[in-house]
Amino acid sequence: MRTYILKRLLQIIPTILGITFVVFVMMRSIPGDPVVSLLGDAYTEENAIKARQDYGLDKPVLLQYVIWLGKLAQGDWGASILSGRPVLKDVLVRLPVTLELIVLSMAVALAIAIPAAIIGALRQNTWADYTATSVAMVGVSVPEFFLGVLLLLVFSIGMGGALPSSGWVYLPGTCQTVVCAASLWGNTQHVLMPALALGVGRAALLTRLLRASMLEVIRTEYVTTARAKGLSERPVILKHALKNALIPTVTVMGLQVGFLIGGAIVVETLFAMPGLGTFGIDAIIARDYQQVQGFALITALAFVFINLIVDLTYTFLDPRIRYS
Amino acid sequence: MLLGPAVVTTAEAQTPKRGGTLRVAYGNEILGMDFYTTPGYEMVWVATNVGCGLVSMTPDGKFIPDAAESWQVSPDGLLYTFKLRKNVLFHDGTKVDAAAVKFTFDFVLDPANRANMRQFLGAVHSVEVVDPHTVQIRLKQPYAFMMHVLAIYRMGMIIISPTVTHKYSPEERRAGKPEALVGCGPFRLVEWVKGTHLVMDRFDKYFEPGLPYLDRVVIRAIKDPVTQMAAFKAGEIDFIADFSADHVDTLRAQSPRAQIMTGKETTPMVAMMKVTVPADGKPLSKDRAPHAIFNDIRVRKAVACYGMDRKEIVKIAYKGQATPWLGIIPPGTVDTVDVNHMCPYDPAKAKALLAEAGYGPQKPLTFELMTNTEKSVFSVIATVIKEQMSRIGVTANIRLVDKPSWMVTSTQDGPFDMYVEDLASLLTVDQNSYLSATTAAWNHSRHTDTRIDDFYTRYAREMDPVKRKAIARELQEYSADKLYWNTISGSPFYQAAQPWMKDYVYQAEFKVIYKKVWLGK
Repeated sequence: MRTYILKRLLQIIPTILGITFVVFVMMRSIPGDPVVSLLGDAYTEENAIKARQDYGLDKPVLLQYVIWLGKLAQGDWGASILSGRPVLKDVLVRLPVTLELIVLSMAVALAIAIPAAIIGALRQNTWADYTATSVAMVGVSVPEFFLGVLLLLVFSIGMGGALPSSGWVYLPGTCQTVVCAASLWGNTQHVLMPALALGVGRAALLTRLLRASMLEVIRTEYVTTARAKGLSERPVILKHALKNALIPTVTVMGLQVGFLIGGAIVVETLFAMPGLGTFGIDAIIARDYQQVQGFALITALAFVFINLIVDLTYTFLDPRIRYS
Repeated sequence: MLLGPAVVTTAEAQTPKRGGTLRVAYGNEILGMDFYTTPGYEMVWVATNVGCGLVSMTPDGKFIPDAAESWQVSPDGLLYTFKLRKNVLFHDGTKVDAAAVKFTFDFVLDPANRANMRQFLGAVHSVEVVDPHTVQIRLKQPYAFMMHVLAIYRMGMIIISPTVTHKYSPEERRAGKPEALVGCGPFRLVEWVKGTHLVMDRFDKYFEPGLPYLDRVVIRAIKDPVTQMAAFKAGEIDFIADFSADHVDTLRAQSPRAQIMTGKETTPMVAMMKVTVPADGKPLSKDRAPHAIFNDIRVRKAVACYGMDRKEIVKIAYKGQATPWLGIIPPGTVDTVDVNHMCPYDPAKAKALLAEAGYGPQKPLTFELMTNTEKSVFSVIATVIKEQMSRIGVTANIRLVDKPSWMVTSTQDGPFDMYVEDLASLLTVDQNSYLSATTAAWNHSRHTDTRIDDFYTRYAREMDPVKRKAIARELQEYSADKLYWNTISGSPFYQAAQPWMKDYVYQAEFKVIYKKVWLGK
């Protein structure tokens, strides 16, 4: 197991190098120039040349990448070209917000998907199954921004501000700025709508997947054996069927992290949340190369680590799986 | 300057209450915090609360004291003498004196600092300290807008602390390190976390006794207008510093007690046509060649004068809530002139001009109309123009790009035929010289007509307001005739305040000042 984890951790290096290199080159290939944004109405050709020299943007792209990598190896993620703020510091301020959003939206997804899939599978071709699958279909079809706006209209505007429409209150202990609001209740209020907006679509997908797995599993011999042994329905379903049916679902959950980060950009923008999603999109729009690199790096790291955790979860779900 | 039909102030005069936190929403992020190098109004709206200048300006165009208690201008208009107040302190406790003022000018004038206010100081010959509380600015030639530069152009000349400027790097200022951004304004910067919040607290030793009233101002960016409205309706924010014109009616319906402020437009919405291109293919080259389509004045007039129905564009894109406008200077700017009569919508005349220029069914005119994703109204306008062009047998192919791509193309002399955008807010005709003179970096049409430059020079040096107005008229008529700069309308600007936000004075994009604001709740 230890060797497996070590191997997987080593695989992270080429993955990160590949992703950051592609992003690095792509950002410099698309139209736009951070120097134009940086100089604004002070833009002159002379100022632009000087600024490009100052930020090393006049060097060949490959050399720029090597310099960035060299600094990264020393723990320096660089500074935003536009704001001058250290990228790592800003990433760390925003990371807890997005992590919490992703974890909770996945929790929302599972909280909806598991019961819906079980009901759908156990009562196949009944009104309960049709309802669960129809709702799942609607859920998959509704984009995050649309659901987010609906939630805003209902809970923030319609119900007189029952839930806050925007902003963020940190979980106690996660705030890294001088001035910030932090409370458990405030945090819950702020994260509820974004987590729902992001989680419902995933719930729909997971419901369909899990229902299909459950249908397959409940027809297997070991489930029949469990029932023949006289076990009551609850342990048969929860301990024997669900646990096995979850394996493909967990795989998909790992892969869904990428979609969740993408969805977080939309949801964070809609709810004006100070997370990594808005950090990334602002950087891309402004062509703030250093900030985009920081975003790509943290996203790649998150994706790789979450998928590693997913792989390790298999051993819990199915003890026959052993990594060596 | 008069911003709109009347000076707009939130709520009626009552006895101000001290304390409280004002929660402000901006529609865009603050890009950086260095007062003199960071672009964008969002930073300016912070800088003018953290910093102070020599003088300020009221919405009705009067200059009022700020750090200077009085001033004199010599009869020849070449020497400005300012007497400073004796009780003005920077936020670190050091005194604001004549040396600090001179330092500020020297700093801005040094090309190495890339200060964006430098472009406005071309007339300054020198700045001298007479005594610790007297400073003199000597000009090379008379400049009618020197006081405007000091008070309000961009953000005015905000006085910076020599000690702090020497101690901290430009990167630290840009990154918003509070110790590096020490001003002499009513609020001191406490913290800026990009994309999260900006916090300013009352400066207790501010030189105007009793001001400011607020304990704290917290600013955060809410980009989506729907979210802005939801937050406003729920009472989560007190003030929206820049509200989308498209959503004003909805906001009014949702929050009937909201104080919605606007005035005559000071920002031009333009359909800019490229007039010349680099002859040697090198962007920004001084060697210019005619643009294949729009160098021909007949085509410019056919397309942008007689072929463009400005009233229809405003009706569709702004639901009628903007002013159709042709002049180079927007409707809310000082010395603006309505020259709309010079370009009546006349498709038949447009077609005749196109035929004269060699275009017609045999050789149809096709051009590219670039617009960007920053505001949805740009695309709407581009679509209406496309439709209007089809009525005169012209095909306009819309190219939608993002803002940085537009900025690079327009600023760096990239290839385009026409673009739709609203450009910088203009307080005076003089300010537009930085966008439309042949020498201006932002002369996006790249016209080479130096008569435009002459108009601006004469206008800026003329000290008699009546004669100046006459030059302004000449310029606007000449510009409308040549169409180097093609305005479609004004671009409206809106702010919204909760009913409990009192004594805020609307000054469009130019100033967003909180020092007299108080909360009546």
